[in-house]
Amino acid sequence: MSLYAAAFGFGLVSLAVIAVGAVGFTMQFGITNLINLAYGDIMITSAFAAYFLNHAGVSIWIALLVGAATGAIFSFLLNRFIYAPFQRKGTPLIGMVIVSLAIGIMTSNLLLAFVGSDNVSYHQNPGSTVHLAGIILTTEQLLLIGVAVVLMLAIHALLRYTRLGKAMRATAANATLARNCGIPTGRVIDAVWLITGALCGMAGTIAAMNSDSFAVANGSGFLITILAAAVLGGAGQPYGAMLGAVIIGELTELSAAVISPEYKAVVAFSVLVVVMVLRPQGLLAKFGAMAAAG
Amino acid sequence: MTFYITTLLVYAAVDIIACIALNMQFGVSGLVNFGFILFQAAGAYTAAVLSLPPQSANGGFQQYVLGLQLPFPLPWIAGAIAGGVVAIPIGLVVLRKLRGDYQAIALLVISIIANIVITNARPFLNGAAGVSLVPPPLADQIGVEAVNTYEYQYFYVVISLLCVGLVLFAANRIANSPYGRSLRAMRENEVAAAALGKNLLAQKLTMFIVGGVMGGLSGAILVGFIGLWAPAGWLYPETIVLFAAIIVGGRGNNWGAILGAILVPVGFFEATRFLPNFGQPGLIPAFQWVAIGSLILGFLWFRPKGVFPERRRTFPNPSAG
Amino acid sequence: MPADLGPLLTATDVHRHFEGMHAVDGVSIEVLPGRLTGLIGPNGAGKSTFLAVLAGTLPASEGSIVFDGEEISPLPAFRRARRGLVRTFQLPSEFAQLTVLENLLAAAPKNRGDSVVGALLGRRYWGADEDALVERARGLLGRFRMIEKENQYAGDLSGGQKRLVEIMRALMLEPRLLLLDEPMAGVHPSIVGEIASYLESLRDEGLTILMVEHQLAIVERLCDPVIVMAQGKVIGRGPLVELRRQREVVDAYLVG
Repeated sequence: MSLYAAAFGFGLVSLAVIAVGAVGFTMQFGITNLINLAYGDIMITSAFAAYFLNHAGVSIWIALLVGAATGAIFSFLLNRFIYAPFQRKGTPLIGMVIVSLAIGIMTSNLLLAFVGSDNVSYHQNPGSTVHLAGIILTTEQLLLIGVAVVLMLAIHALLRYTRLGKAMRATAANATLARNCGIPTGRVIDAVWLITGALCGMAGTIAAMNSDSFAVANGSGFLITILAAAVLGGAGQPYGAMLGAVIIGELTELSAAVISPEYKAVVAFSVLVVVMVLRPQGLLAKFGAMAAAG
Repeated sequence: MTFYITTLLVYAAVDIIACIALNMQFGVSGLVNFGFILFQAAGAYTAAVLSLPPQSANGGFQQYVLGLQLPFPLPWIAGAIAGGVVAIPIGLVVLRKLRGDYQAIALLVISIIANIVITNARPFLNGAAGVSLVPPPLADQIGVEAVNTYEYQYFYVVISLLCVGLVLFAANRIANSPYGRSLRAMRENEVAAAALGKNLLAQKLTMFIVGGVMGGLSGAILVGFIGLWAPAGWLYPETIVLFAAIIVGGRGNNWGAILGAILVPVGFFEATRFLPNFGQPGLIPAFQWVAIGSLILGFLWFRPKGVFPERRRTFPNPSAG
Repeated sequence: MPADLGPLLTATDVHRHFEGMHAVDGVSIEVLPGRLTGLIGPNGAGKSTFLAVLAGTLPASEGSIVFDGEEISPLPAFRRARRGLVRTFQLPSEFAQLTVLENLLAAAPKNRGDSVVGALLGRRYWGADEDALVERARGLLGRFRMIEKENQYAGDLSGGQKRLVEIMRALMLEPRLLLLDEPMAGVHPSIVGEIASYLESLRDEGLTILMVEHQLAIVERLCDPVIVMAQGKVIGRGPLVELRRQREVVDAYLVG
């Protein structure tokens, strides 16, 4: 029984990490209609940016902010110079998916060229272990969960209560209409990429913090787990992404306890495929991958 | 030197067949099969375990199913069929309910899942180490020394090119027929095609299987030549290389697919082999991928139709009288 | 035109809800053979959605659709098209990278080459069918005066030309009932009259048409009877002249 309680506890950290990433990813899709397959590679790049700072003596928590900034700037520039121009050119959706895949491969390989393929780890202090009803977590893990919760509340506040958030929701619902109503959609989209890019960078760094070691190759695993959570919750729905993260996070950790850790990824990916087939619009979505007619 | 040329030709044949297959699915029919490499892998594994002796042979260091030691050409035929068979459940699941970009992602993810599962389920196909010591075609009949001669290399080139001819023949017949036209209509506007009586699911599933058969054959040819096949050799970026080839060569055009295969997986990767090794090991492959990505972006921006765009089809005028 | 033939299509209590919205809210109509029936109504009335439900592009949430004596509501769009119920689209839906002639040929149903096996058997097998269809397609192109455009990519045509290609494409299927979704939308005013004449001659030849249209001048010229929808329901039917006098219709429309 304690095995499952411990797994449940790991699931909490897992879902915290996934939630931050999934919300960023799904907002990118919801507001700009782009499936950013380079997301996982930007995550791992940000994790490495934090790594270099961390190994230069900076505390991991400060380095985490640098990771966020890396993600934000990278994503913003990516949209400015690649995604938006291709979209303006009229590239069809499928072409944009190929573009993002190409960018992802280029990013991870450039990173590979710079940092090599070895596993690395942060200098971090896990702190003391906390036992609570069979759940065993370190202070650092609890802090990570706390960071994730704060970020989720911040996003909620952004979307609900700020003008920018309302502009984002309007652009997501109907960009042309939003523009006609006077909303500066160009600037809104810039803001979206900065904010979600920051989430992306943060997610990559805290995912790396939560692992014993990490390498460039982890990027694609990140992507698919986040994809799974985002699609499960409903593409483009931030609250759905949070719900998806909870389900995927717990499911993968609990199944790792039951089956074996190597299949953790398979569980997440299979959930993704099953969801896509059975309920492509996700749990909460209003719009989604609806069936082709005929 | 000749060994290099014959090796290049066999690799070229394999890549050409794979590109033609993907062209049938993506270029002509509009199916974004990001999981294509899985079909090549299915063909390769099938041909391998049908050519290999039972797993106790060679000291029993490998674990795999079957091991029937069947003579050529049975493993190749089985490999092609395996590619088609694998396409059926995947196609039925993915092609029915998902819109285009979700289909692409689902197919990508399925190929990744398959790779992970095979890596971890050792008794099935020998896990991460993969299957090796796969006997080349006719090895049992002509003996081990004969396989290492120039004559055998030429033989291999000839049978590979024969397969290319067969695949190209079938692909051209399909693309240049009324059926090919229905496929292209589906690619252009599937809702309109359905409104004009096209059974989209049947068409998609059929081309999925056809491309799967061709992809499986390419895998059989490759594994017969290099003698081994492991999960590390069919990761998802391999499919991206083939997509790059088609985008460069020309979508929808079989000759474009051939040109793309020669330029990208063959020409490009082969050319970079001659560069002097610099930096850490693994640097050159990394730059290769960066270049592939740039190639894709460059062509999608400047010449999305590729070097050989799809031909305009005209019809002869009726003779007078 | 025989007036005692039963309706070609009967829709009974058809509903279409989606995400809480009732785009089509209990619509029942009959389409009589050989007539050009108009379907009009203000924006958002659900006309195009209803047409899509009839054609099978969208599934009905409830209700029955009987076409030529057969209940077709469980059938997907492509099977309805094969039975002679063919639709066109409001937004241009030509096959852009196919030539005009190919667009027409793509629609034709009876071609032995239209299967994988048939394709592999080669031109010797399907050549005759293809030649016959080319001739038929060219006949249509001649009638609609687009023969010199036969080798142009359909994506390069003007709006009006694309609309004609779509109509010709639908005709290649030898439809029993043609559903037209705002055929004049996006068409240059100078071409509108031309398209209207084509529709008139098709009707005079006995083709049954149900047409969603906004421009009331066209409706007046071509349609009899006319059905009016508003907010997902039918609020009137009959000749346009009478409908103009009905209070509900005028209110719904605010148009003269």
